[in-house]
Amino acid sequence: MKKLSKLLLAISFAVSMATSAFAVTVVSWGGAYTESQKLGYGDPTAKALGIDINWVDYSGGLSEIKAQKEAGKITWDIIDVFAMDTITGCDEGLFVEFDFDKDFPAAPDGTPASKDFFTSMPSKCAVGNILYSWNYAYNVNNIKGTPKTIQDFFNTKKFPGKRAIYNGALTNLEIALAADGVKPGKGGANIYEALETEAGVERAMNKIKELCTDPKGGCVFWSAGAQPPELLVSGEVVMATGWNGRFFGAEVGEGAPIKQVWDAQGLDYEYFVLVKDGPNYANGNAMKALAMMTNTEMLAGSAKHIAYAPWRKSSLSIIEKNEPWYKDGKTNMLSQMPTAPANTKNYFLVDPIYWADNGTELGEKWEAMKAGL
Amino acid sequence: MSSETQQILTTDGIPLEVSLKKAERKNKLKAFLLVAPLLLFLIITYVFPIGDMLIRSVDDREVTNMLPKTFKAMKGWDGQDLPSEEVFEAFYFDMKLLIEERREGKLSTEMNFTKNGFKSILKKLRREMKKFDEGNYKEQIMAVHKRWTDVEYWRAIKARSPSFTNQKYLKGIDMYTNEKGEIVSVPEDRQIHRVLWLRTLEVAFFVTVFCFLMAYPIAHLLATLPMKYSNLLMICVLLPFWTSLLVRTASWMILLQQQGVVNDFFVTIGLVTDDNRPEMMYNKTGTYVAMTQILLPFMVLPLYSVMKTISPSLMRAGKSLGGTPFVAFWKVYFPLTIPGIGAGCLLVFILAIGYYITPALVGGASGTLISNQIAFHMKSTLDWSFASAMGLMLLTGVLAIYWIYNKLVGIDNIKLG
Repeated sequence: MKKLSKLLLAISFAVSMATSAFAVTVVSWGGAYTESQKLGYGDPTAKALGIDINWVDYSGGLSEIKAQKEAGKITWDIIDVFAMDTITGCDEGLFVEFDFDKDFPAAPDGTPASKDFFTSMPSKCAVGNILYSWNYAYNVNNIKGTPKTIQDFFNTKKFPGKRAIYNGALTNLEIALAADGVKPGKGGANIYEALETEAGVERAMNKIKELCTDPKGGCVFWSAGAQPPELLVSGEVVMATGWNGRFFGAEVGEGAPIKQVWDAQGLDYEYFVLVKDGPNYANGNAMKALAMMTNTEMLAGSAKHIAYAPWRKSSLSIIEKNEPWYKDGKTNMLSQMPTAPANTKNYFLVDPIYWADNGTELGEKWEAMKAGL
Repeated sequence: MSSETQQILTTDGIPLEVSLKKAERKNKLKAFLLVAPLLLFLIITYVFPIGDMLIRSVDDREVTNMLPKTFKAMKGWDGQDLPSEEVFEAFYFDMKLLIEERREGKLSTEMNFTKNGFKSILKKLRREMKKFDEGNYKEQIMAVHKRWTDVEYWRAIKARSPSFTNQKYLKGIDMYTNEKGEIVSVPEDRQIHRVLWLRTLEVAFFVTVFCFLMAYPIAHLLATLPMKYSNLLMICVLLPFWTSLLVRTASWMILLQQQGVVNDFFVTIGLVTDDNRPEMMYNKTGTYVAMTQILLPFMVLPLYSVMKTISPSLMRAGKSLGGTPFVAFWKVYFPLTIPGIGAGCLLVFILAIGYYITPALVGGASGTLISNQIAFHMKSTLDWSFASAMGLMLLTGVLAIYWIYNKLVGIDNIKLG
């Protein structure tokens, strides 16, 4: 009996090894996000193509794939990455450059893929996946009145209490300038123009510093996406910047007393990249799976589970026609999307090129600012 | 002659000395083969990666080979004003070759490490270069982006010309070599590494002190209590050790934050007023509390193992010879525990110096330590050579502490368990 179970274990292990060798490995951030990807388009794609798709979690960054390449043993096929990483990875030659309209299917109405996306891709290696937002939220029980604008986030006289902000310069400098009176302009062009100068960066840093040293304000720095809703619910802070999907999850999914504010939100993107010489690169399976996962219907599928907007404009019309789209069967998703017209009255697009250029230096300045708090 | 005649032979006629040596060599070989797997493991997992790190941190041949013509043309340039047409032309041809070989992206990443802002201007240059006419490259390159007219960017290129460089180490202490070859500090608003080194040392030092102060009585209790109580206490010490690091960190956040359990309790018993709750989280206090608790077992266990071997009769003897309990403790018991103290302090300090997840979560504005920077450059910027340089500096620091300990206490006077 013992021998038999051992044998069975060995066989099942061998079988799993054999099948996973053929499975397309998609690497993403884990948690509710990967769950939405898996249920939304991973499983349907796997079924339609007859290819196994294997989801692996990672914590971002390109160090793993770079190490895999240097060691000569690449095990990942597709990676879910930030815009900045698509640029760096493309420059390093880690990812495949796409011939966009040839590699990706057109929208149902015939619009070519490259015209179906919200803005152009940050690099030739990137294909859009979702759009998410850096917005802010507040705890309705701990605030008198209704914060509406980004100025309210910095207004400690009207809304006293601590704020939670991201532990890094990314998007903090942008909202600081927006609150300090810089009109974002088209896609945030004015903000980034101001941030190109030393004076602009200093102005933004000072605004943050002012908020954090204000006796009526003060800052808590968050580094994990789960922190902002938790800090709000526990009452540790009265307002927090964060990712809209997390706020949505707490507000709608768990019924927490928090509300989102979309003024001067930073729209940011997640992309898929195809790893050059990955295990399923030569046989074309990885590309096939990627093309299908990012088509109109598939992308719409993930929005059933999480409040991130599909990258394709054509996916939104599918959601619109089939509301309520959220998995609970009663929540309209479109108004929860960062791209909803009501939410995009005043916004900026997080500029990956600016951050790829200046990220390290601004990171240093950010730490220096924090050390002086 | 006489020595040969006196030589003792074994039964098969070989001199005893030779035969013994042979047997000894065989034994040595056997012993070596036994430890060979471990040795191999150490070489592969320890010596080789550290050597690789060392090379990575100083090796800059990749960039040197990318721009050979430019660096040659730059030899005569003093770095004061913009370089001459000759340099621009050489740079143009180097770039042209790199673009053909699709290596210009790598160059832009590398140059961006030296000076931020290179990424976009090299990309723009790549696009515009296709339209360049022959000749007068200086004007054409400068027209691509205003940064190309900034001499700082050309100095940054020149700074990458040597094949081997110490710039990454200098950067680790906020210094760089300027165009005159002097080693100077970076602008004040970008000086962070020195602050972070000091902060890392400070945190590691105080965590070690707190761990010691808390662990000593616990270990003493563990060593002196009857078995049935000490076992229970031991489990209490080890239980958090078996819990995930993140769970413990998150628990401290829930306990200590301003609206947390501890503060709620203080308010309930009237110790503090509701609008005047002390801040115990998202500052250094939070870091010290969380890290001390996490690293406590590493101090308790070596102390316990040493105290267990100290006979209780020694203290009694001290007291019977007329010492007060304190004198007996200080003169007899404490010196005997020094090997355990040394081991525990070294362990905790070395572990604390490399910590970064816990401080980042609970430390607030002061939560960034040097290891955060190493991780940042490993994961985000992919500046592995800078990460390697800082890693080696950290390692050197640890070795220095080990050396000081050896000088003060003696390394054979250490007991890990």
